[in-house]
Amino acid sequence: MASVRSGTRREDHKAFWAFSLPAFILYLFVFGFPIVLSAVISLSNYKGGQMFGGEPWAITGFKQYGLLFSDPAFWLALKNNIYIVLISVFGQLPLGFVFAYLIYRKVVKFGEFWQGILYVPAIISVIVLGIMWKFIFASNGLLADLFNYGNTSKLVAALNLALNSGTTLNDEGIRHILKAMDPNVVGLLGSDPVAGFKEQLLPGGSLAIGDPAAFVNAMKNYAPKWTPEFMTKQDTAMIPIMFVTLWCWTGMYVILFNANMQKIDSEVIEAARIDGATEMQTARHIVLPALSGILINAAILCIAGSMNQFALIWAMTEGGPMNVTEVLSIYMYRTATIGQNYPLSNAIAMVIIVISFLLIGLTKLAQKRLGGQE
Amino acid sequence: MKKLIIATLMVAVVALGAMAQKTTLNFFYYIDATQAGYAEDQAMWQKFKDANPDIDLQMEMLFSQAYHEKLSSYIAAGQLPDVIYMWPGARDSSKLLHDNKLMYDLSKVLDKDLLSKFTVAALNPKAQASNQLSELPQAYTYCGVAYVNRKLLADNGIAMPKTYADLKAMVLKLRAKNVQTVALPDGDSWPAQSCLMSTMVGRYLGDAWVDNVKAGKVKFTDKDFVNVLTQYKKLYDDGIINVTNVQMGYGEGPALFASGKAAIIIDGDWRVGAYLTDKTTGKALIDPKNQDDYELVNLPAFPGEKFPGTAAATAGCGLGITKTLTGAKLEAAKKLLAYYYGKDFQTMKWETGAFVPTRTDLTTDKLEPLGVKLPKFYAANSKTTYVLDSVLDPSVFNVLNAGLQSIPLGGDTPAGVAAKMQAAQDKLLKK
Amino acid sequence: MSNTAIDKERSFGTSLVGKIAAIVGKIVAYAVMGAFAFMAVFPILWLIMNSFKSNQDYQLDKIGWPKEWFPINYAGAWQIGDFGILLPNSVFYTVVGTAGVVLISTLAGFAFAKLKSRASVPMYGSFVIGVMLSLSSLMIPLFLQLSQLDLLLGNLWTSMGLMTDPRAFHLFYNTRFGVILVYIGSGLPLAIYMITEYIRGIPTSLVEAARIDGASYWKIFARIILPMCMPIITTVAIITLPGIWNEFALINIIVGKLDLQSLPLGILRFSGSRSADYGKQFAALVIGLAPMLIFYIAFQKQITKGVSGGAVKG
Repeated sequence: MASVRSGTRREDHKAFWAFSLPAFILYLFVFGFPIVLSAVISLSNYKGGQMFGGEPWAITGFKQYGLLFSDPAFWLALKNNIYIVLISVFGQLPLGFVFAYLIYRKVVKFGEFWQGILYVPAIISVIVLGIMWKFIFASNGLLADLFNYGNTSKLVAALNLALNSGTTLNDEGIRHILKAMDPNVVGLLGSDPVAGFKEQLLPGGSLAIGDPAAFVNAMKNYAPKWTPEFMTKQDTAMIPIMFVTLWCWTGMYVILFNANMQKIDSEVIEAARIDGATEMQTARHIVLPALSGILINAAILCIAGSMNQFALIWAMTEGGPMNVTEVLSIYMYRTATIGQNYPLSNAIAMVIIVISFLLIGLTKLAQKRLGGQE
Repeated sequence: MKKLIIATLMVAVVALGAMAQKTTLNFFYYIDATQAGYAEDQAMWQKFKDANPDIDLQMEMLFSQAYHEKLSSYIAAGQLPDVIYMWPGARDSSKLLHDNKLMYDLSKVLDKDLLSKFTVAALNPKAQASNQLSELPQAYTYCGVAYVNRKLLADNGIAMPKTYADLKAMVLKLRAKNVQTVALPDGDSWPAQSCLMSTMVGRYLGDAWVDNVKAGKVKFTDKDFVNVLTQYKKLYDDGIINVTNVQMGYGEGPALFASGKAAIIIDGDWRVGAYLTDKTTGKALIDPKNQDDYELVNLPAFPGEKFPGTAAATAGCGLGITKTLTGAKLEAAKKLLAYYYGKDFQTMKWETGAFVPTRTDLTTDKLEPLGVKLPKFYAANSKTTYVLDSVLDPSVFNVLNAGLQSIPLGGDTPAGVAAKMQAAQDKLLKK
Repeated sequence: MSNTAIDKERSFGTSLVGKIAAIVGKIVAYAVMGAFAFMAVFPILWLIMNSFKSNQDYQLDKIGWPKEWFPINYAGAWQIGDFGILLPNSVFYTVVGTAGVVLISTLAGFAFAKLKSRASVPMYGSFVIGVMLSLSSLMIPLFLQLSQLDLLLGNLWTSMGLMTDPRAFHLFYNTRFGVILVYIGSGLPLAIYMITEYIRGIPTSLVEAARIDGASYWKIFARIILPMCMPIITTVAIITLPGIWNEFALINIIVGKLDLQSLPLGILRFSGSRSADYGKQFAALVIGLAPMLIFYIAFQKQITKGVSGGAVKG
């Protein structure tokens, strides 16, 4: 990086400062000072209200960090963040690479079209994604409709099977039907479900069914109603979110990787192909190493983005239900606005920053190690 | 030269930041753009602005969680709005306003003539956490109302349910038609506590018991309270309330009920507005000519209840004035409140189904049938009992909210939830 | 990799099994990409379709084609959402914000890439670090900083007798100025990183020649650097623009007054848990989505090139 030689030293310096100062001052104002403020508050007992001239507050030490590390909500949020990091680094990047490679090598046609379409999620406001998400995963949403339809079909099949041997039911048939019914409903039939079934659900208490079609129709709604219970439990609740995260950002990496692939000398590829290398080999031994630098950079951006992920998850679940999908940034937001605990909230902010750097440092370390192998 | 530049800069900065000649009034308001009556509400405020050119009314309108978070931020930043729509109890953000007595006592600030037009219950300072009239309750809100689809029941040969047993008997028949017996969308975690649990606690234990638990004389872990939670669980075990409700968003309720997918829905009296005609599209979730097919009744009798017929109700929300206001700003705020609590505004709120006002001298003939049912409901159910999130501390009722979600899902037991609640209450008692 | 291994793979590649595998692979590839693409486009189409249903029609039938059409949803949404105020605000924030990022980061990029100073390396390094940060984690301290600063200055002016109510002073919090500062600041790290790398690629000899001719740095910047940077500037603009347009978390915490709110905040108001009017809600969302879609379709080529332009150095 050569800089200009001529001109007086003083003029050079003045110019440097003149050009860089606006950016630097703004940067300090928007990033620098808040970070320092965050560190200070995290070590204090500030309670909100006026900072200077209001109620006195003081530095009290690392108490908040101690509280933080003993709070299970913190570890849950951290775990959720790790999930996002994993799906990003090991999902978006490989998938992005594969798609980019396929487009680059023209294994699929209309490359520009695919690139364009795959990038669309990145420009849609997350609020729209949140609404769609709720629509699909809600208790009475699309997914529920699908599962319920499946359950109903199973029950109808069991009913038809039981009526197969004529229109008279027997105990065994009833048992099969009960198995396909909603356990809640079965519970209402009393301690002996078969007897209860005969008593309460058979028209006139008779085992002979006059109108099988009507009977099936009357019974089919006793099928189990699916609830998205997996969304109220830790870990499983993160699955839909991870899926959406994967879908959302992969497109950007497709474009990024594809562009870098274009820079590879096509003669090298041709030579390999002539030598009889398969696509997989070409990808593994030529393209992948050529992109290693970009991959590391992308991984770093990925990690940074994942650790700071807020808007998308907030729009989908607000960290719920019951905080199971909370990530660190939402946890931080919650302790500040609802919990009104500013020192704790800022401690979390500090932790997010430190962890980001740790992960990125690890990545750089990995780069050095892997780079050595070449 | 430098000094001159600095001085000019300072003046410019001051000019940039300082306010204009008008009296600025920061009004923190609670309303949702999709609510019934939103357009009318906004039109009324526009009238106020037009009639008061010397007041620069800055309205910030938020709803639900966003509202509470923003207000908490304001309190933290020491930047309280001037007029605040708030709750009478220690609900979320209003807690700080009450605990730190940040609002004026309206009984001393508002015009006596205006105050005389409101019900005695509304003016009761004891109904508010700060033991003073920090806000003027615009309504007395009944939180536990059962909306019943009378026609649906009649079509299926079912009579109006009066007891728990009646409800249980309906389940199988209704389920065959894919109709839920009782709906209670609890995805937002507060409805089960506000609209159902509060009445249940009132029926089984009574207000005195709640006062005692706050004073530490009885505990949530006592079998009396655990029994109420167990009874709550039974509602789900017996199939009366379907487990799918636990994760259903609160906004899904009206559609569910109006489309006949649930025979009964438990909700608050404010929900009537959701079923009325939308002025812009002319559509209503329940067409006015069908509204008499529905009924508003008290929750049925529970087995073993000690205080039959009570319903959970609380003083409603209202506007309050921040205590730091003086001079022109205070006068402007008083004008705003007088306008809001005036005949026109309150009548509009009544007519759009927002609430039934506590102002006693209003009349209207514009109500749709469902709206007319409300005052009748109030008159028929005058025995009220506490709404839990008005009287308990947030650290306690938040645990209850979460517990009422996890019990039906099998994530926790009645005893477990009671223990957590008592732990939170103990922390408060220690202070 | 040993020769025998390559030979083995090669023979696999040209055998019949290999060919079938290749075809199956292609089908899978198309299928997966098609699925992704479908999931990208479907929500938008579904949204647009439902925005024409009335609230009741939607709730009875969430997936089907509208039976009656209610374009009035759009008028209603526009009015209720006060989009007449919010849309110009969004345009203002996005345009000024993006322009600000571009201008300030190009200036800085020039300094870091071509002007000598001992402070250059650490300063530039701090920006590179900033790329890994996000203002999401700094929301709370930022909010405190802005509001407390206003309070501080307000108290200062009041004590000097220039104002009566210290809490009436607003320069940073709840002001357009504050929002712009934050938006520009948030875009700086990435922009400076990309632009600096790019300018480093410009031959220094050009600059030196101009200096020898006696041109000032300003002239050099305006006449030489800036024109040559148009590609990377386009890139930066294209990345920054949708980011600011769709942003809601930061502005939500910095701004309260309706007059200052942006489009996403207006849309957020429709997403209340008590939504009773889906028709208008969807119309509001389409109104919010439309500008971005138009922008995207119009600049699709540049965008594709743009994101890849960030891959200057490996």
